[in-house]
Amino acid sequence: MSGPSLALATHALRKSYGSRLALDGLELSVPTGVVYGFLGPNGAGKTTTMRVLTGLIHADGGAMELLGRPFTGRDRQRLFDVGALVETPAFYPYLSGRANLRALAASGARVPATRIDEVLDVVGLRERSGDKVSRYSLGMKQRLGIAGALLNDPALLLLDEPANGLDPAGIVAMRETLRHLASIGKTVFISSHLLAEVQQMADVVGIIAAGRLVREGSMQELLASEGIVRVRVQPEEVPAAAAALTRLTDPDRVTASVMGPGWISVQITPDRSSEVNRALAQANIYAAEVSGGNDLEELFLTLTGGEASTDRDGRFAKIDPSRSGPSASEVLS
Amino acid sequence: MRLFVSGLRKLATRMATLLTFGLLAGLLVMIDLAVATTRGAGSNGGGNPLALVTFPGAYDLMLSFLFGLGGLFAVIYGAAIAGSEWTWGTLKTAVVRGESRSRYLLATFAAIALVLAVGLLITFVIGVAAAAIGSTIAGISLDGIGDTAMLGTLPEHFARGWVAITATAALGFAVATLARSQLAGIGVGIAFYFGETFAGIFLPDVVRFLPFHLSQAAVGGGEGFGAPPDPGALSTTTALVLVTAWLIGSLVVAAGFSERAEITG
Repeated sequence: MSGPSLALATHALRKSYGSRLALDGLELSVPTGVVYGFLGPNGAGKTTTMRVLTGLIHADGGAMELLGRPFTGRDRQRLFDVGALVETPAFYPYLSGRANLRALAASGARVPATRIDEVLDVVGLRERSGDKVSRYSLGMKQRLGIAGALLNDPALLLLDEPANGLDPAGIVAMRETLRHLASIGKTVFISSHLLAEVQQMADVVGIIAAGRLVREGSMQELLASEGIVRVRVQPEEVPAAAAALTRLTDPDRVTASVMGPGWISVQITPDRSSEVNRALAQANIYAAEVSGGNDLEELFLTLTGGEASTDRDGRFAKIDPSRSGPSASEVLS
Repeated sequence: MRLFVSGLRKLATRMATLLTFGLLAGLLVMIDLAVATTRGAGSNGGGNPLALVTFPGAYDLMLSFLFGLGGLFAVIYGAAIAGSEWTWGTLKTAVVRGESRSRYLLATFAAIALVLAVGLLITFVIGVAAAAIGSTIAGISLDGIGDTAMLGTLPEHFARGWVAITATAALGFAVATLARSQLAGIGVGIAFYFGETFAGIFLPDVVRFLPFHLSQAAVGGGEGFGAPPDPGALSTTTALVLVTAWLIGSLVVAAGFSERAEITG
């Protein structure tokens, strides 16, 4: 029997904290068996989404489905097939890592006793499992949190910033673990600020801003269709280059790049890099570098209105968040 | 049952548990030994201090001490345990696993109730040993230690005291749950204890229905360690019924609040 095609879905999900709207009709569709990267700037509603999905808070409106069945947030047993790490991992500091997992296993779905050793092995904490959690580093606590989320061998894993505090080796190990879980049919939903990490790990990406989904799709398609081509020219040539490039696309899609002085980003598919080079050459400007960008960070900043971009001197400059990015005329002229 | 057993495991090794009963037992031992070594010197006529180490009356005084000062310790203990579930975020981790919030909290409280019973029993035994040593030091006969009439009343006395202490722990538990904070829960619990004592001066008719006074009345207290008997106190049976109502009410409030609370920490 095959499972549902969507492991997680939300429809018109709304949530306010007082007068502040945190989720404004959020629509998510998370296919089964993928690693889904859930991205958004600070305050976009990522953690609120996680809290609603795990029943910690209640949505004001809209609907959710977990593993193909409706979830109201009150029918708690729907979470027996879900593993979650929301915000920072929470443990009893005076107990050992193993004792904490044992305590956690006493709640929710029943877990075989052998499962504790299994998850400790998965996160590489078995040797230190007898130590008190108060002596754990941030990374070790994070790994223990992931172990806790894996306890019930969940079909759907919800992880909020799972790479927090992990060292590079830990991040690689986590990535491999999560990729492995997806390869055996589990669904992994990750909220993260580490765009490069998500780019390496996720199959599907959802980007939210101000509580609304602004883009969702497979990583490959998203980066191809929404790709970025970046060019580096002499800083004094930037205005002329920007003007030349606006002949290829809408002026709003030619922006100063976060890469540094002289860098310009053009939102066109990477297979049009040669056209960019040609347009510059026709304006007697010769690019020092051309990068066929599939850069999630650049795309993220563009789609979310960007919290910052560079001005013509390469300094970070605030951008109006209501815009999709600074226009060439605004920033580059 | 899993949650209850897990709750016991967590409490058994917790510093708050060791500190609560360690402090109570330590105070009891110190008082007994101080009275014995000074032969009750320094008493200014408020009572006979050597009664504390004179059996069988020492049993009664010891229980009065345990269930009197124990009420303050219990409210702090209950608040500490419930508050830490919010402060440390461990309630959150159980909730995201699909656990019922109220079931989790009630199982945690059931574990607290059992730990209180065991802890008080151990403290009582330590107190009896200390009083016996004190008797020996003070040269008082230990004949009364095996007084069957007194020993026969101890189980009922202890049971009533345990219910009373558990009710004050429930009060702290509920306050910390409402405050979602360990420190706030402890602070409010202590304030409640002393506030109620202070209010007793001005509002005796009201205060006798409040939890700490009821707890004392439920164990027939108010006579321990020099405190004068409270002529306005309710009968032990009435007090026990009311203290049980406080216990249940506190737990209902804690469970109801936890079900509706938005867990954002």
